[in-house]
Amino acid sequence: MIKPTKTYSLSGTQEKSKLRRFFQKDLTQYIVFAIPMIFLAIFLLYPMASTLIRAFMAPTDDFSYSHFSLAGFKEFFTSNLYRKSLLNSFIVSLSVTGLCILIGVPMGYIVARVKIPGKKLILSLGILPIIMPSFVGAFTWIILLGRNGVIRYFLSHFLHINIPQIQGMFGMIFCMALTYYPFVFQLSYGAFASANSLLEESAMLMGARRGRIMRTITFPLILPSLGAAALLVFVRAIGNFGIPAVIGGSNYVLPTLIYFEFNGFMDINGASSIAVVNVAITAFVLWLQKYVVSRHEYETISATHTELKQHENKVVQILGFLFCLIVLILSLLPQFTIIIMSFFEKWTGILPEGFTWSNYTRIPRYSSHELFNSFYLSILATLLCAVLGSLVAYITERKKPKGAGLLDLSIMAPFILPGTVVSIALLSAFSGNSILRLTGTYTIIVISYMIRRTPYVYRSVAASLTQLNPSLEEASTIAGASWFYTFRRVSVPLIMPAIISGSILTLTTLLQELSTTILLYSGKTRTVPIQIYNAVQNGKLGQASALSVILLVVVFVIIYAMNHRKGGDMSSSFKM
Amino acid sequence: MSKSVTYQNVNKIYDEKGKNPVHALKDVSFTIEPGELFCLVGPSGCGKTTLLRATAGLETISSGKMFYGDVDISTIPPYRRNIGMVFQSFALYPHMTIFENVAYGLRVRKVPKDIVKKKVTEVMELVGLQEELKRNPSPTALSGGQQQRVAIARALVYDPDVLLLDEPLANLDAKLRRYMRAEIRRIQKQTNITTIFVTHDQEEAMAVGDRLAVLRKGVVEQIGTSDDLYSSPQNAFVSNFIGKMNFYNGSLVSVTDEFAEAKVDTTEITVRVPRSRVHLEDPSKGDIVLIGGRPEQLYISKEKSNNSIRGTVKIIQHLGSFVRYEIEMPPEISKINFEIDMDSLQKDVKEGDEIEVYMKEDKISLFSPDGREL
Repeated sequence: MIKPTKTYSLSGTQEKSKLRRFFQKDLTQYIVFAIPMIFLAIFLLYPMASTLIRAFMAPTDDFSYSHFSLAGFKEFFTSNLYRKSLLNSFIVSLSVTGLCILIGVPMGYIVARVKIPGKKLILSLGILPIIMPSFVGAFTWIILLGRNGVIRYFLSHFLHINIPQIQGMFGMIFCMALTYYPFVFQLSYGAFASANSLLEESAMLMGARRGRIMRTITFPLILPSLGAAALLVFVRAIGNFGIPAVIGGSNYVLPTLIYFEFNGFMDINGASSIAVVNVAITAFVLWLQKYVVSRHEYETISATHTELKQHENKVVQILGFLFCLIVLILSLLPQFTIIIMSFFEKWTGILPEGFTWSNYTRIPRYSSHELFNSFYLSILATLLCAVLGSLVAYITERKKPKGAGLLDLSIMAPFILPGTVVSIALLSAFSGNSILRLTGTYTIIVISYMIRRTPYVYRSVAASLTQLNPSLEEASTIAGASWFYTFRRVSVPLIMPAIISGSILTLTTLLQELSTTILLYSGKTRTVPIQIYNAVQNGKLGQASALSVILLVVVFVIIYAMNHRKGGDMSSSFKM
Repeated sequence: MSKSVTYQNVNKIYDEKGKNPVHALKDVSFTIEPGELFCLVGPSGCGKTTLLRATAGLETISSGKMFYGDVDISTIPPYRRNIGMVFQSFALYPHMTIFENVAYGLRVRKVPKDIVKKKVTEVMELVGLQEELKRNPSPTALSGGQQQRVAIARALVYDPDVLLLDEPLANLDAKLRRYMRAEIRRIQKQTNITTIFVTHDQEEAMAVGDRLAVLRKGVVEQIGTSDDLYSSPQNAFVSNFIGKMNFYNGSLVSVTDEFAEAKVDTTEITVRVPRSRVHLEDPSKGDIVLIGGRPEQLYISKEKSNNSIRGTVKIIQHLGSFVRYEIEMPPEISKINFEIDMDSLQKDVKEGDEIEVYMKEDKISLFSPDGREL
């Protein structure tokens, strides 16, 4: 370190030149940057603060400082329903995380390290469950294993085996595990496949056996990615609304309890208390993961990449392949089931009954408004997300302002917030006697979508910007271009692929959004997923299936088109 | 056309108000003449890149002034300075063709289309890429040397007042580097644009630059032509950075107006050095000094005499036109091994042998012992 040999105080003339310097600066960028900041302040920070305050107010939907009370939290100790929901949430998310690891890690290892056919197909089929709406999976499992379920019927009538029906705790855990295992599978596959084979080879040369290498080299090195994947599953599981709502029966979890509290009692303050508890658990787990992982983070010393050795043992190959096959069949069964179901009136025995086109032909009449809403809201929100996410990513990566860490945190926070919590936050800020009343409007849904999905674009663009050498932009400045010219001609074209892939992800997940919309929709703003959910609740499975098939096809076509265009893998976009 | 560049007491302090202020540039003051090809050279962390980026306006300076010609540009933003810059990574735009890359600065300046075309064609001819321009591929399809030429063309096309090159050859392989060195010099002489060239490689700096400034820890140690710096370095650091210098520990025994006489520690060997090669502030009898001789200013022999010091041959390297002997000296004379270049291989001298080391007295210089380390 070099200490200044003398002090260089700013004299009066230099103060003046500082002022001049400020006015000579290009002010466009400050104006452009102010917009996302204001948006985040009004629609993210303010609602979150409002929720936190309401959580400490007596159960009503009024916002009044005179009603300070801990009643909302007391319920967790006094009410049986609250206590049970909290317990259920814990059981479900922990079991789902455990199950996903048990399914995903071996599958990742098999696909990366065992010589089996169809690896590419397994990888791309293995991503489908997280692309598809999760509540659709839940209601198809009711068709298969519910009270009058097809498989259950088959077993009891022909083999005289009675299995319990799926609705309840087991159903939730089962469905969520089959929905979320791809996170663990894809991330551990990535870790196993990209591990430096020289590390394992050198251990082998030093005399270590396969089991020992696995225990001492391979596994410790993938631990950080495994931790990230487990966290992702936990956060999703504890925030999932659709699966517990459809298949949970009388078992409530926190997100459904929020819905119950709000929809049943119009009690925003009570719902806020539950939301705060829900977020607190998520935040604690997030902190725990960071704490554990940060002590086990290794810098991979990269060397020339060599081909990884693959298992060629016949038994390992066959067992491995069968394992992957069973997991894929189980996780894709819902997709097949709804396609069949969508052409029939009912399906309660072995075979579906009453072939009909009417599930589809009815759509234009009964669902055209919902279809319009879904597309209109999703596309509009996606476009806005793309702009907001890219700008914020650009600011935090390139301008590195003083509060960059805080900005990063606040834009990423909704990524771990359950959808119902975001809705409650927006409702608590913009309903009732609030200055800006947005309940029942398109606007509030678009805003909730933006708040929830901007992290996708943000992460995608931020990652691409870190890889982009700043000298590309400096070269443009040197050549005489203003900030805006550089941004338009150099930065944006170079980050465009990242913007597009982030936006596609946003669009496809928004088309099937349920947990936020369910608290915010009105008759005017009903979307397709809401209609599917209501149809399931009313037992109209044929209608629900046909609408789900439409959603599936749209989502699948979008994803397929993008993957075809850029040939990348989707799983990376889901990482935190 | 071409302008001079003047630095006046330029200081740059990173994290000025923080806990660990780093003084990256200290009172830098000098002038680069119009049309000159000027090298900034020094070890990593010496401040050369900071100075270049400050010249471009990509870094602000903490105090002092910078001028292009007579114009104070200290507070002018980079995009209004009319400069060209070539980056170490070339920073070519992968989403544009090479034509569009080169035309970029002209498009920014809203130059009419036909003139853009003419200008780009001219500058591509200057850098020797007229054939590539006809195919007009994306820069990613070009070799490293061709990308380098595109980067230079892009910086030159709008006739900048000053051209800045930031380690432009660092990404090229050794052979190409030597070739591009000459190319850059040719292009610079042809355009006559005042050019600042940053490098950490002293050989490259000496080969390319009309004049060089050697920087260390934010301080300009010496400015001069390659020959000035090599034959009369002002201090021990410069002498050992521009070329190699072997140092004997010693002390002054007498000082006159014309000569200074120094004695090598623990021996009776003395050297008489003319005052022009005595780089000491206010020399007086008894001062501790470093007696410096370049590899070619020393020689080895099997014969012992009063004027020789015994050392051990550690490594012999045959380097073509000369042979380099690395000699371990007695620790009280030098803790660092000497490098001595001989015109030809010495018969009967093997690695591990003891050998006598002599000075060619007429070339020896005296330096102050502080700041000897690189």
